[in-house]
Amino acid sequence: MIKHSIEDKIIAKVNNLKIYFNSKRGVVHAVDGVDFEIKDGETLGLVGETGCGKSVTGRSFLRLLPVPPGIIKDGTVYFKPNEVCEQCLGDGCSNCGDSGRQKGQGENVDLLRISDKKMRKIRGDRIAMIFQDPGKALNPTLTIGVQIAEVFLQHRSDEVLKLAGLDSEKKVVRRFASQNPRVFDKILLLFPEALKQKKMVQDALNKLVAKALSETQVPNPSKLMDRFPHELSGGMRQRVMIAQALACNPDLLIADEPTTALDVTVEARILELIRDLQTKRKSSVLYISHDLSLVRRICDRVAVMYAGKIVEIGKAEEIFANPRHPYTRGLMAAVPSHGTPRGALSAIKGMVPELIDPPDSCRFSGRCPHEVEGCRFHNPILKNVTNTHSVACFINNPLPAGPVPSYDRETI
Amino acid sequence: MSKEGNSYSADVVLSIEGVKKYFPIREGALQRIVGSVRAVDGVSFQVKQGKTLGLVGESGCGKTTLGRVISGLNSPTDGGVRYATNGIFSRIDKLKNNGLKNFRRNCQMVFQDSFASLNPRHLVFDIVGRPLKVYNEASGADIVDRVITLLEQVGLGREHLYRYPHQFSGGQRQRVSIARALALNPEIIVLDEPTSALDVSVQAQILNLLNDIQKARNLAYIFITHDLNVVRHMADDLVVMYLGKVVEAGPTYEIFNSPYHPYTKALISAKPDLDNTFTENAKGLEGFVPDPARPPQGCRFHTRCELATPNCGWEIDDVVRWLEDTPGMFEELVGVERKSEFSAILVFTNEAAAAKLVKTVRSEKLPFAMRHCLKKLNLDGTKVQIEFDEVDEVFLKEQGNRRSACLLSPEDVFKGVKYGN
Repeated sequence: MIKHSIEDKIIAKVNNLKIYFNSKRGVVHAVDGVDFEIKDGETLGLVGETGCGKSVTGRSFLRLLPVPPGIIKDGTVYFKPNEVCEQCLGDGCSNCGDSGRQKGQGENVDLLRISDKKMRKIRGDRIAMIFQDPGKALNPTLTIGVQIAEVFLQHRSDEVLKLAGLDSEKKVVRRFASQNPRVFDKILLLFPEALKQKKMVQDALNKLVAKALSETQVPNPSKLMDRFPHELSGGMRQRVMIAQALACNPDLLIADEPTTALDVTVEARILELIRDLQTKRKSSVLYISHDLSLVRRICDRVAVMYAGKIVEIGKAEEIFANPRHPYTRGLMAAVPSHGTPRGALSAIKGMVPELIDPPDSCRFSGRCPHEVEGCRFHNPILKNVTNTHSVACFINNPLPAGPVPSYDRETI
Repeated sequence: MSKEGNSYSADVVLSIEGVKKYFPIREGALQRIVGSVRAVDGVSFQVKQGKTLGLVGESGCGKTTLGRVISGLNSPTDGGVRYATNGIFSRIDKLKNNGLKNFRRNCQMVFQDSFASLNPRHLVFDIVGRPLKVYNEASGADIVDRVITLLEQVGLGREHLYRYPHQFSGGQRQRVSIARALALNPEIIVLDEPTSALDVSVQAQILNLLNDIQKARNLAYIFITHDLNVVRHMADDLVVMYLGKVVEAGPTYEIFNSPYHPYTKALISAKPDLDNTFTENAKGLEGFVPDPARPPQGCRFHTRCELATPNCGWEIDDVVRWLEDTPGMFEELVGVERKSEFSAILVFTNEAAAAKLVKTVRSEKLPFAMRHCLKKLNLDGTKVQIEFDEVDEVFLKEQGNRRSACLLSPEDVFKGVKYGN
């Protein structure tokens, strides 16, 4: 785990985020008033079941939401990027302590409101994302090298040109080091001089891509660059995704179930890799997962989501040692663990409620074993239990002592 | 194993004997067979009545293929699955007519992806009632009653009868699959990752349900999964597979307590856990699963094993694999003249590359155990002759009620004694 020396700077803050989706049957309240913040250098885990809105929350950072049918109803996602070190342009030098960033922070922007052009600059550069299924997230028609080069062409034109030893002021040269192909490029390439420059840019790009790949401990990166995604194994693809995401040294990395499709043995290595790279670069990570045991292994703080709301948030040790919300407890009890007699797993009874125009009640009421009268008519809000641990439940004060909560075994 | 007249203990319902399943690799215009992917390569174990057998391994180790062979969906290349009818064990791929029908109804399967395994055009009533119709178990209004009883057994009800699969959630669809499997009151159910697509809370419901059904009907389960937490909870016996072979088998509890094979040990230590205190040393495994079309010699796990010894089967492919992973070396390699798996001449484009290979093989970069079993290493211009000690395949050894395929003693595996230290 990362123990950061920097005092608790906040890098991103989500305020009352509400994202709805229009559907045939009504408005689905996918994310319904979520508040949390991500501190500099920490790993925040976002756990919850399928359909609880955790991925939508994660994607809202990059504004990768389908609008319409999505509606950004309310709320803000503030993001305060760290300033990139001027000396090394984020590569890491002695001046900035190898993290590639300076102490100061840039301006505070609301990611949901800024222009598309600004968003494009942040996306992939300051905030990057690792997707769940690397088989789908990588473009099957492009080689790995070309795909990772896109990131550099999009965000690091100057660096590429510097490495190629070309004049970054020249407009003709610049167009080779930017992503969008232009109409006249082919005509331009008829000149031998231009062709030579294009080659120099390509060589520089290859170097950068190989460097990015080698950081994810891929054997023989230069060979991998000519391959297509379908030629690689799942673990390898995920490494490529990580290399792509971390290519520009982002301040915030959103990892949306990065290891769900992988085997345990590969998973352990990928997690280790993410953690190593994070320690080295001091970026923050929002780790979205449905697996409590994983989150426990790698996160500093944990937020538990249920039906579009955060029901419990706090330090990982606190939550796992002393879960306060009945839902968190239920989730933890449902994981088959050592010593549970066979067939006696405590499942949470019932199903996740539909999020179409939900009533103003605790979302967990109806499934909750500790339900009291108020639960069906009032909506609990997050309240501090300790300074670092808050829970949204009416019975947050010491839970009924005695035996483990009686999650009704679903009978058949 | 002897063919006929084998003695089986009374509670064995299914005996898997040396099952092999190879898939041919075809190439060229004539689609000639140039090799085969050895998905399952000689697996034997027995399934007992009323017990759960867990089958674990990484993806690509052949566990799903084995499950399909067991339930008769694929026929094995070699070996066979024997099923007991009235105390007589007969191979299921040799069964005909009534025998085959009898096996089919007694061995059902629940698939991983309930979306793909339920026909989207059929109603639940059709899906669950189909087996009853096919086997003339019931007809007319009787079917409706039977289907309702089945649905109630899996926690669904009459109201779900006339719905389509897409109207259900993942957990409910898996319940429908289970109801379909139960319809003919089978003896054996092959469960192929039944909960891997589900959330933990739903998974808990399904696992409880499976247990209750097992108790009530005295079913035998073959539980295929990659989730070790689930398998520890569910299985009585465990079979751990790696690259088509069994590396370890025995009672679940004992294997989790003290794994006899380094692969099992690595799997268990990589497993994320809620009970144990925070463990930093969950390392996972180096490298990747080798190509099952060219499985490694000796012990198949030696390429990734931390505890490998010189006798574990080091071969030419290990050198070639290393060359592939080294920048600038594989491009220089022109050809490999193989005499056997353990002896070959590598030809390079230039002398420098050949010399570099010889130098590296002698240096610390390669595993000590691998260097130690080198018989010959000759440099001749652009050619390098390499020869390793020849090693036999590592077979499963009986150790009490457990079997494991490792040259090391269980104590050494437990301590993690590395070769040369």
